Amino acid sequence: MSETDFAVSLNGVTKRFANQVAVSDFDLVVPRGVICGLLGPNGSGKTTTIRMIMGILHPDEGSVSLFGADAEETQRARIGYLPEERGVYRKMKCLEFILFLSEIRGMRRVDGKRRALEWFERLGLTGWADKKLEDLSRGMQQKIQFVSAVIHEPDLLILDEPFSGLDPINQDILEEIVRDLQGRGVTILFSTHLMDQAERLCERVCLISNSRKVLDADLKELKATERKGVVAVDFEGSDEWLRGPEVTGIKESDGTTEVFLVDGADHRELLKRGLQSDVNIFRFELIEPRLHDIFLRHVGSNITGGVAVSENGVSVTP
Amino acid sequence: MMWRNVWAVWRREYIQRVQSRWFIIATVGGPFIMASLIVIPVFLTERSEYNDTTIAVIDETNVLLDRVVPALEQGGWIVRAEGWREGALEELTAKIEIGALAGLLVLDGMTLSTGEARLYSGINESPLRLLTMRSAISQAALEYHLGQSDADAVALLQGGRLSVRVINESGVDTDGVEFLIAFGGAFFLYMVILMYAVAVMWATLDEKASRVVEIILSSMKPWHLMLGKILGVWAVSMTQILVWICSVTLFIAAGIPVLLSGRYGLPQLENLGEVLPGPGLWALFMGFFVLGYLMYSGLYASLGAMCSTDQEVQQAQLPMLLLLLVPILMVLPVIQSPMTPMSTGLSLFPLFSPILMWARVATGVVPAWQVGLSFALMVLSVFGIAWAAGRIYKAGILMTGKRPTLPELWRWLREA
Repeated sequence: MSETDFAVSLNGVTKRFANQVAVSDFDLVVPRGVICGLLGPNGSGKTTTIRMIMGILHPDEGSVSLFGADAEETQRARIGYLPEERGVYRKMKCLEFILFLSEIRGMRRVDGKRRALEWFERLGLTGWADKKLEDLSRGMQQKIQFVSAVIHEPDLLILDEPFSGLDPINQDILEEIVRDLQGRGVTILFSTHLMDQAERLCERVCLISNSRKVLDADLKELKATERKGVVAVDFEGSDEWLRGPEVTGIKESDGTTEVFLVDGADHRELLKRGLQSDVNIFRFELIEPRLHDIFLRHVGSNITGGVAVSENGVSVTP
Repeated sequence: MMWRNVWAVWRREYIQRVQSRWFIIATVGGPFIMASLIVIPVFLTERSEYNDTTIAVIDETNVLLDRVVPALEQGGWIVRAEGWREGALEELTAKIEIGALAGLLVLDGMTLSTGEARLYSGINESPLRLLTMRSAISQAALEYHLGQSDADAVALLQGGRLSVRVINESGVDTDGVEFLIAFGGAFFLYMVILMYAVAVMWATLDEKASRVVEIILSSMKPWHLMLGKILGVWAVSMTQILVWICSVTLFIAAGIPVLLSGRYGLPQLENLGEVLPGPGLWALFMGFFVLGYLMYSGLYASLGAMCSTDQEVQQAQLPMLLLLLVPILMVLPVIQSPMTPMSTGLSLFPLFSPILMWARVATGVVPAWQVGLSFALMVLSVFGIAWAAGRIYKAGILMTGKRPTLPELWRWLREA
């Protein structure tokens, strides 16, 4: 793929705050038209990365390019952004707020109004247009913010924790809208720590931990690669055969035992040992790992490491 | 791109503020309060004069009456001189009891020597009126003793007066209209500049605390947001001030003649129209306001961007308030001696100019080049402050947590 096939590409991006590194030597590519999940524990640098893509923060090293060009104001006008910290002008009326945001994104007010009303209808907000934002619940405010992110029909939608704070019904509505937008050619990059959602939605995932990228891959390919690593077994007898150099861990769940293998180990070694012992094996299956497990495997080991940057933004320490 | 964004922020700020209940209350209420400060005392004085305040005066000395009666009449009493005769006292006090007379003033030999007189009163005279009466009596006695009609006992009793005429530079009388314009104008400037600059600070803090700033900054530069905000609040202030000025002018043009009709004793109000500041002075006033506002709103915007909570910003604005205390404390000395080196120096300091240079301008003695210089310095400061405030704003607006220390601020200025 050439540069212009990427909606976003980060090259060796580093951002430091005071004496902490928030994001370190970070590369990321998001091909056009895909849904990409940015996953990582709290404080791993997700929000800082997104803010650099949005031009709110500037990287100390490295570069950000959008749609194959240097990230300039004209490129950024093609992005819709839902920040994690969802603030609104509390005293403003919903429609006025959307119109203000559409205006600073270069839309005419008439167009903004027409589209806003369409979105209001779709999200069940009709009738709230002239209500003040402070009269809305947080979930409702979030929907208004979502409208403000898509009002100018962006080519790239960046959503920072879009599902947090929404009830299951609205989570489903949002998921559907995200898929629908993708169907219309919009590229979507969202950060989350909800693995189920990411697993359902994403075609690509990027894992960050401790300011560094741990992996960045197509989810299907990733699962295929990781598939080698987990075996589900049902058996009767001693579990002595599960102890071997190729096994890193064992997890019991619902009567099935999941056996995690070291990278590159051959599962046949394990099977051979099982057959040689006197246990009765009913099931031996290489299973597709869940994203949750992949996440824990890659991140879990260093998740206890120091959390460098607060999610709320830049914390300054002397 | 830039101006469209600035315009959108400006428009939002203006419409939101002008629609708010507080704006309407302050805009309409301001002139109303100002007008009532003038009307109510006049009205009350008028009311008290409708009371029947006919008093009788008995003068046993025969020399005080001619002097006391005009003074009392000027004070608002209707005076009936009664000759001294047997039984007059009983007869007149009986009249007071039935309400036919408001009071009876008895002047005797004691009055002539010590100024002590007796008042039999049927109503509760206010302390102020009693004071008027007392001084009328003692002055009459003094004038009699001084024995010559061309001695001005009043002036002499007030300790005399030194009239100073400075060649080329005329000072200002502290009881003239010019003084009122200099002093009142300086305070008004201080008030409105501070009020609107602080409004910018709160608006910035609010955007930061509510986090709405992040979504806005994803579409525009911090500097544009700050500029739009400052200009928006400025437009609100101009609207408010124009409403105030128009209603005060209307009040003076239409209201005062009505109030004055058929009244006497308020000569200083009658020619108020003639001594009101002319268009030139008004233009200077607005100039001082606009430049003062631009300087202070920039400073206050960066204060708002530096802080994260109400408490923090309260603390952070303390040094600023102390700085503003200087011109306020110096207003009076500067008006009284506008040409001293200290007055000149302080009034040329850009942050003090809107208050102190105004005060000097209103006294009418400041050379034009100094006014021009102060404007030039203020314009330079506006740009300087905009540059620095823009940087602080940019660095601070997304920062949460602890307020920056001075070295950190310095780094923001250099790096941003």
